[in-house]
Amino acid sequence: MNTHSVIPVLGLLVVASPAVLLAVLGLPLLVGFRLSEQWQSRLTKASVLTGLLAATGILATMLISGSRQEVVELGHWVAIEHEHEHFHFHINFVFDRLSVPFLMLTFVLCGTVGAFAEVYLHRDAGYHRFFLLYALFLLGMVVSALAGTIETLFFGWELVGLSSALLVAYFHQRPGPVRNGHRVWTTYRIADAAFLIAALTMHHLTGAGEFQKLMGSGAWPEGVANIGFWQASLVGFLLLIAAAGKSGMVPFSGWLPRAMEGPTPSSAVFYGALSVHLGTYLLLRVSPLLDVSMPLRIAVIGLGLTSAVFGALASRVQSDVKNALAFASLTQVGIITVEIGLGLHYIALVHMIGHVCLRTLQLLRAPSVLRDHQMLENAVGEHLTGDEVATSRSSSPGQLWLYRFALQRGNLDELLDDWIVHPFTKSFRFFDSLERRWTNLLSGGNSRTSDTLSPYGDSLEDVH
Amino acid sequence: MTVLETCEESNATTTDKTADSQVLHWIHQAAHFLPSQGPIEVFVHHNTLHAFETESFHDAVRAGHDRYGAEPYLSEPEYRRLCAAGRITDDELECVIVRDLGESCNNAISELGTRFDIRFAMLRHAIYVGPDAELRWIIAETDTLERFRETTTAINRGRTISASKKWLRNCKQNPHPVRNVESLLNKFRANPDKWSDLEWESFSLHLLWRVCLGGVGAFRGKARQRQFVRPRDLLLHATGEDTDRYVHDMLIRFCAAYVDQGYSDWILPNRDQGFFESFLALFSDATPGTASWLRGLHDELSTLRAGNVSAASSIEASLSELGIAEGDREEFITQSLLSLRGWAGMIWQLESGVDWVVHSIPTGSLVGMLAIQLILEKCAIRHVGAQVFEEYSSVQSILQLAGDRVHDPKPLTVERSAFLLFQVAQMLGWTPLELARLTELEWQKLSQEVESFPSLERRRIFHEAYERGYRHAALDAFATHAERLKAIQPAWGSGRPAFQIATCIDDREESFRRHLEEVQPACETFAAAGFFAVAMYYRGAADGFYKPLCPAVITPDHYVQEDVGYSFEGIHRDRAALRRTLGLASRAFHTRSRTFLGGMLAGSVGSLASVPLVARVLFPRLTARIRQRLGSFLQPPPVTNLQLERYAEAPGPTNGHIGYTTDEMARVVVRMLEDMGLKNTNSFSRLFIICGHGSSSLNNPHESAYCCGACAGKRGGPNARAFAQMANDWRVRGKVAAHGIKIPDDTVFVGAYHNTCDDSVVFFDLDRLPPSHRAEFESARESIEEARRRNAHERCRRFSSAPLNISQDDALRHVEARAQDISQARPEYNHATNALCVVGRRHWQRGLFLDRRAFLNSYDPSQDDDEHSILARILAAAIPVCAGISLEYYFSCVDYRTYGSGSKLPHNLVSLLGVMEGTSSDLRTGLYQQMVEIHEPMRIMFVIESTPAAMLSIMERNAAIARLVRGGWVHLAVIDSTTSEIQVFQDDRFQPYHVGSTAITFASSSLECYQGSREHLPFFSIKEQLGPFDQ
Repeated sequence: MNTHSVIPVLGLLVVASPAVLLAVLGLPLLVGFRLSEQWQSRLTKASVLTGLLAATGILATMLISGSRQEVVELGHWVAIEHEHEHFHFHINFVFDRLSVPFLMLTFVLCGTVGAFAEVYLHRDAGYHRFFLLYALFLLGMVVSALAGTIETLFFGWELVGLSSALLVAYFHQRPGPVRNGHRVWTTYRIADAAFLIAALTMHHLTGAGEFQKLMGSGAWPEGVANIGFWQASLVGFLLLIAAAGKSGMVPFSGWLPRAMEGPTPSSAVFYGALSVHLGTYLLLRVSPLLDVSMPLRIAVIGLGLTSAVFGALASRVQSDVKNALAFASLTQVGIITVEIGLGLHYIALVHMIGHVCLRTLQLLRAPSVLRDHQMLENAVGEHLTGDEVATSRSSSPGQLWLYRFALQRGNLDELLDDWIVHPFTKSFRFFDSLERRWTNLLSGGNSRTSDTLSPYGDSLEDVH
Repeated sequence: MTVLETCEESNATTTDKTADSQVLHWIHQAAHFLPSQGPIEVFVHHNTLHAFETESFHDAVRAGHDRYGAEPYLSEPEYRRLCAAGRITDDELECVIVRDLGESCNNAISELGTRFDIRFAMLRHAIYVGPDAELRWIIAETDTLERFRETTTAINRGRTISASKKWLRNCKQNPHPVRNVESLLNKFRANPDKWSDLEWESFSLHLLWRVCLGGVGAFRGKARQRQFVRPRDLLLHATGEDTDRYVHDMLIRFCAAYVDQGYSDWILPNRDQGFFESFLALFSDATPGTASWLRGLHDELSTLRAGNVSAASSIEASLSELGIAEGDREEFITQSLLSLRGWAGMIWQLESGVDWVVHSIPTGSLVGMLAIQLILEKCAIRHVGAQVFEEYSSVQSILQLAGDRVHDPKPLTVERSAFLLFQVAQMLGWTPLELARLTELEWQKLSQEVESFPSLERRRIFHEAYERGYRHAALDAFATHAERLKAIQPAWGSGRPAFQIATCIDDREESFRRHLEEVQPACETFAAAGFFAVAMYYRGAADGFYKPLCPAVITPDHYVQEDVGYSFEGIHRDRAALRRTLGLASRAFHTRSRTFLGGMLAGSVGSLASVPLVARVLFPRLTARIRQRLGSFLQPPPVTNLQLERYAEAPGPTNGHIGYTTDEMARVVVRMLEDMGLKNTNSFSRLFIICGHGSSSLNNPHESAYCCGACAGKRGGPNARAFAQMANDWRVRGKVAAHGIKIPDDTVFVGAYHNTCDDSVVFFDLDRLPPSHRAEFESARESIEEARRRNAHERCRRFSSAPLNISQDDALRHVEARAQDISQARPEYNHATNALCVVGRRHWQRGLFLDRRAFLNSYDPSQDDDEHSILARILAAAIPVCAGISLEYYFSCVDYRTYGSGSKLPHNLVSLLGVMEGTSSDLRTGLYQQMVEIHEPMRIMFVIESTPAAMLSIMERNAAIARLVRGGWVHLAVIDSTTSEIQVFQDDRFQPYHVGSTAITFASSSLECYQGSREHLPFFSIKEQLGPFDQ
């Protein structure tokens, strides 16, 4: 049995296991059948374990055979050749030094968090929904990690985005989570738009979406981009926006703390750890572009540095555990981005994996902070934050500014609101008013009865 | 001139002052409505509705509903489900209605039925009443007017249809008894003779509906006028924009920073100056990029700052600017504070009550918070006004515009009343014919009768019946069981018990004691409040600080410290130093991992975190063992002593002042023994175990709520240990003997600690156990080992993740894993299902299966004096504490969103003193959903072995007890153990209770009672066993 026959089988298994899980968890719900908690958790475990074992098998095979890159083809789905115009849509999965560690990390963490959530969410009304979204997330992560073409990556990327937003809004009985889930979703859309344009541009430039066409044929990270400076810069900047949105880097950082609305395990693994690193993963994947375009490299370093500093500042004033950890994650994501910008690919990869593990553990143990604090105080024998009851220190205007800046989280949400959201809604309201003018004219009066409806018309209580 | 000016000025200041003090007064009044839970580190169960405790229970829950918008009882569908399941029976409903209506029960309403009939029908059948839109939908879109309701009996169906037929015949002779009869007939086929049954059914219902509508329409019901005290509510209803969203987002972040106990790295600047001052200092500078709704903020703040305006004056100004009418101001302030009640409550607690936090806050903080809240509210209103109305001028004009926009659609008052009658008519078989004959006055009376029994009232009746069922079953069981036990001698006959054990009164110890008595019938068990009268500040060998170990209402005078044995002093010092080093390193790692460079370093070695991550989640029990093994090199050496004896005059935390004098010790011992009724020399066994309790769980900010309530939410082991040491002291025994209690020389006390989560029991100071008592101890330990295994097994039936056929060993492993599992949201069920508190001797209740639902308190009335002083002091603690636990569970259970702290799943620890839901929410107080999910929300019933006279005299003397009992917050019954007669306190007096059923199921063991069931169980009487281990 040679590697050429083993790898496609294992590769398929890796992708199929979460896809099958999604189908098995989702389809019964569609026909109104609810699996028991026990069965859901068994299926989830089986799927994650299969995926992990297959991924380990691939790693072992590759180590033994010394292969550095393996591509599993799922065929050409669309191939249009028409004189000068041609379009290929083509699905393949790449196993290399970048994707295999990330893939295994995904399986290990998702598996652990799945085991955690199985107990933690026991008897919760949304248990089914959680594990369905979990399967969706896992599939998205696996597809994104392995994607060999930009379309495949986009597909996985969207699944991750969708499941993340829905998990943020997990507690949909309360307005806060829904609003924040919505915010996460819209922020992702901006990133997705940039991503989509980048994909189109790539197709336009190379005729296909394979990263190999863009990066050259060398195995990661040795690929050499075989496109020109301008093309590389254009695609690179678009992808940088996409990565910034997904990883919550400046100026998109506002969604990161908002994502802490979900149940602790989903906050932990999804936003605190995996999902937030997807942007940096994308940058690693297309890192050869940086070699071609210096401005792009500078932009990557600049963005990473800004995000890191911002995250470090904001993290210092957060009084609650989850927000502090969310901003701490941002700091590290920023630093990892800087490392990518500097071309330290392996360091970035190691840093990423290390950070993901550490942060997941910290977030899962977030409710223990009070006990840890007491334990440490007992060990040290004094109050860790000083015994003084009142601190009478005057603060300079600069300190006040910095504190205000950090407490208000740099007003980044407001920045986005002012520069993106408001122009957007304003233009649509303008069109709406045009339409209203026309309909009023045609109906000869007020054409919209909904205007007069009160948003909370009826009292909902029957008790007097 | 100058004189005049000053005069005016001072005038102005005095009016200002009175206005200020008025504002302060209102805020203090409003503060009573805030949750009174302090920092989560010390979780004290208390009555959630303490603000309404002077009222009766039913009035108070209604007041809570009006004030907080919280549910007063379970929901109606839930009660109906309980009816269907047989938990609430018709008999009980009948009894409760009759009791409630009293004389007027049989008053007939317009000859259609009695008040009782109407109410009973409304309880038995679901009544649909929804908002207007739903009502409209039900009438227009569902088959309500086509088909009878499912629960309508065949007789009533037939009656209604034949009456309709008759009516139609009459109608031809005598046209127009009902308006628009043509339009009704037009809906059906022309010839009624050819109508099918279904058509007749539909016609009858349409007719019935029109008759009801016409009847109710004849007199106009009154429409409710909505009043908005807060501009926020007005804007929300007018525009759908919630200004609280803006205000709270900002305020929550600032509150969290303000009260932070050391989580964040940067301390809020100027925090010590107060909320208002610190906020002013931080936000009075203009910052580019400020959120658009805050753009006017810094101007206003800098004006306030420049004018040196106080928080109260600022509130006064805001009230005027918001246009709050003078009469509404107190209500407005209350509602404003309640809109963020968790944070406001915490700030109020920190400034007024809790003095033990590391970082305290200055008084006046709540006033400052309200001032800031109102300033922010004005900003938010201006912002919404600008957005929605494009109105930029003043808050008043925006509110004016909003007020113009709110136009309530015409409420369907008539239709609502008619629909209610329409439903009741079907249930009671009122025919259109009968109804059409009613006069306007009769209609009014009928409608009023039905309306006077709205959902809230129905739920109250349901709730009374729900409690009554359990209460009567319990009283029957007590009476029957006590009667049966009268004939039975204790297993130790006239000799001494094999050993004696005293536990806490906690409901979780009920099963532990029961199992112990089953394992070793010759053992005798007692219970007393788990601090065992040792109120102390305690510092363990590995602790940094003294922590109070006594009920939260007591401030201890004494300090006790755990010392390491002299020969281990060196090791101890080394280990303490090592702990300190590791602690500092660990602290550095935790906080630095959130920073820039530290995070980088931590991140690069972070892959190592995957090991504990995976291990702790997948193998919690194994990991815990390994951690314990490794940790044992860090823990203090195994041999420690309590520094318990003091020679200096005054008690204090410093060396020499630590501990108790022998006189004080003797007082503690006498008090405990008297409480337990142990005054005779021959009632002591050779071995007496004192067992404190606590609970340990991981990843649980509410851990303190699981521990011993009598030890301020901490673990009560040291109290038991201290008590045993005191009672073993010969000098103390001498002084105790002077009080008339002679403890036999061969009685040895041993302290122990029971962990209610993993069911482990550890013993203290066994090295000091005389060899003469080893055998007794070993045998007792064996019994306790077996009892804890059985206890774990009984507990597992409630955990759906443990199979019902689990073995005892696996059960023990299961509960151990639960305690060590970081993913476990319910390490144990704590006090959930608590429903009873028994105060009395064990000999008449022993062997009664109480399903872990009862607090048990030892008390021997035969040892008490004429003043009932022992009972009075036991109840002074037991009634408020048990009532507090019961009521906290009650309220968190009936409305876990408002009274409780929501779901545990998104909890987010904030400022090291509370939890928020998700990323930013109000501070959540009360118990969370997972903690109360199996609870039956009922008021606790006290069954006290005493006389009505004694209880009345105690209630006379103790206002707190009287308030709880007379207000119906708790139920009270007294039992005479010799006659097994019970009297219950009802309608403000004791009334004899007539035992309903003396049939109690017998069981050979506890296992037989609970095996195979996860539900709440009935009472069982467990047959006595002959000797140990012979089941």
